Amino acid sequence: MASDTATQNVGRITQVIGSTFDAQFDDDKLPDIYNAVEIDLGENGILTGEVQQHLGGGRIRCVALGSTDGMVRGQDCSDTGAPVSVPVGNATLGRVFNVLGKPVDGRGDVAADGYRPIHQPAPVVTDLSTNTELFETGIKVIDLLTPFVRGGKAGLFGGAGLGKTVILTELIARIASSHGGYSVFAGVGERTREGTDLWLEMQEAKIGDTGRSVIEQTCMVFGQMNEPPGARLRVALSALTMAEHFRDTTGADTLLFVDNIFRFSQAGSEVSALLGRMPSAVGYQPTLATEMGALQERIASTKQGAITSVQAVYVPADDPTDPAPATAFGNLDAFLYLERNIASKGIYPAVDPLASSSRILDPQYVGDRHYQIARQVQTILQRYRELQDIIAILGVDELSEDDKMIVHRARRLERFLSQPFLVAEVFTGKPGEITPLEDTLRSFEEICNGKWDHLPEGAFMYVGSVDQAEEQAKKMAEG
Amino acid sequence: MANARALDKRRKSVRNIRKITRTMELIATARFKKAMDRATAATSYTKRITEVVASLAKSGTEVQHPLLEERTATDNAALIVLTSNRGLCGGYNGNIVRETMRQFDSLADAYQNVKLIVSGKRGITNLEFRGYSADETYTQFEDEPLFEDIKPIADQLLDEFIAGRLDRLEVVYTKFISSSKQVAVVETLLPLGDVGSADEESEEGGSDADFEFFPSAESILEEVVPMSFRINLFKCFLDAAVSEQIARMVAMKSATENADDMIRNLSMTYNRARQSQITGEIMEIIGGVEALKS
Repeated sequence: MASDTATQNVGRITQVIGSTFDAQFDDDKLPDIYNAVEIDLGENGILTGEVQQHLGGGRIRCVALGSTDGMVRGQDCSDTGAPVSVPVGNATLGRVFNVLGKPVDGRGDVAADGYRPIHQPAPVVTDLSTNTELFETGIKVIDLLTPFVRGGKAGLFGGAGLGKTVILTELIARIASSHGGYSVFAGVGERTREGTDLWLEMQEAKIGDTGRSVIEQTCMVFGQMNEPPGARLRVALSALTMAEHFRDTTGADTLLFVDNIFRFSQAGSEVSALLGRMPSAVGYQPTLATEMGALQERIASTKQGAITSVQAVYVPADDPTDPAPATAFGNLDAFLYLERNIASKGIYPAVDPLASSSRILDPQYVGDRHYQIARQVQTILQRYRELQDIIAILGVDELSEDDKMIVHRARRLERFLSQPFLVAEVFTGKPGEITPLEDTLRSFEEICNGKWDHLPEGAFMYVGSVDQAEEQAKKMAEG
Repeated sequence: MANARALDKRRKSVRNIRKITRTMELIATARFKKAMDRATAATSYTKRITEVVASLAKSGTEVQHPLLEERTATDNAALIVLTSNRGLCGGYNGNIVRETMRQFDSLADAYQNVKLIVSGKRGITNLEFRGYSADETYTQFEDEPLFEDIKPIADQLLDEFIAGRLDRLEVVYTKFISSSKQVAVVETLLPLGDVGSADEESEEGGSDADFEFFPSAESILEEVVPMSFRINLFKCFLDAAVSEQIARMVAMKSATENADDMIRNLSMTYNRARQSQITGEIMEIIGGVEALKS
């Protein structure tokens, strides 16, 4: 943080409430809202706070971006004159940062090209890119039903333990390793261990056959669950700021991965309570939509470059109508909903094919054939779901012949939506499958048309294209 | 937690289904008793008449009857399939249809023409769907088939057999063995020889009495053999009717139980959803009040 003590505007701490604190400044020298203030806590280091409110009479209320341990009333509090700024540019690649842009990977200081404040306006309407292009992932269920948009935003919604982080790491392994541009990973309020795992994995993973590891093109920013709410609230912005710099200056496609955007809302709720705002629906902050909107609007593709972002969104108590996931939902282009019933059948990725959708699943973007196949798959699965109560009560025998056929195919389709993952290879022993879009389309089309009705259901579990299902069926028949 | 209102709606629809299945179960139970009485009443007569034919056939007289002769011709065969008009009877029709397809295919291998005669709407549509279209269909037989209704069908088949336009007649139906066991079986009704010998073996002990035929064995055969065929065919219809009711009874009983389980689970989830909704709202109000206080 660049700061010049000579001209510094210094106030005094008057109150400490958890991770928020008040400070008294001269009435005419109030720090601006969102400015960073610094407090020297002696052996506890320097604490940075962010101004949130002007309380009147020269008092300000701030959120601490670190631990407030050791803070006492009367301590000096100096205005840095600018919001928190993080290092940007090529020097950040391969490094791991905290919310303040300080490296935490133990590799010394960063010789950054420059610093950039984490609060930025969203790109203006006229700068936005209007290009819509499908972004192939090689994961069948995603490519078919929820195609990602290049330069768009995709969300992974799911309750606890359904595999959001696994899908996210899988996407990093698939996309980042074949991707020429830069990647930024934001760890927001999740387990520190997962972050470490990812960091080590990225060092091993190579980009295509260039021999360079993925980490060389990636920078990571962590504010995990052990950090105070202020840090978790701002860490997504820090990461986003770094990604924005790559977008604006290099023009390359930048990937932004966020795990987990719900923690951002959650931290906002904690901070809001400490700031004394009245809680709104389900106890969230009244500014929930504003905060989410301000963040999501910045993750945008402009004419200079694109940011493709994948975000994990935790769904509390498996209730997608909860305000936090609901506000995140509206901002996304592609939307994957992970369903507990599917996970409990042992089908991973546990994407709910009926609740998930994508903006570009439209004949205009993906073409008529893709659209028809996707709709047909959904129709069959939808009918199967409607029939499930009847089957549970009366049994399959009571269904009409047409419905029996639908159930028959739906059970195969359901299983065919599973796929072995690259990152899960160590657990399942099955090598990951990258299925080209064309194979995916052909496979689903043929299953829907009944070409593979004769194969047993088990043959469709964890395969790539339908040809592999046939091989698996042969192996099963041989025992 | 799922939407409480949606859960309640679903529970209501399951309740309605349960009402239907429960009623069907009761009706099937009542009908089953009636049908079983008829079937057991007919059983003694059928058994006896089959015995008489059998003992006539082996009475030593060199009597020949066209219905008893083994045919060597493999031109025409017919397959009668007995299914129900109504559904909601578990695997009853499914088993018959499966048996029919198997038998029809093997008959089609041996005979040039195989005529498919299907009774019961379920069987007609079911077989049609699988590509077996019936040549003749009957839908008038319900849970109380009458002999008068079956007689013309039997007579027509008899005429064709005697005239040589039919060489073999088989019937696929659900045989009523006991009230806890019914099996889908294939039986050969024409030529009659097979039926006689099959039943004779089991009844050998009691029916060894020597008969004296008056005025002559031939004239009695003339009357009794066609009667035996008719009554055997009738018995198939009766058995099928009882089996249908039993199948429906069992299917509806388990359906009602399944519905009960489902209602219980849905009620539990519904109550939980409702409770958490209330708790959430209370918490919001309290939170709001507390925030206003400070």
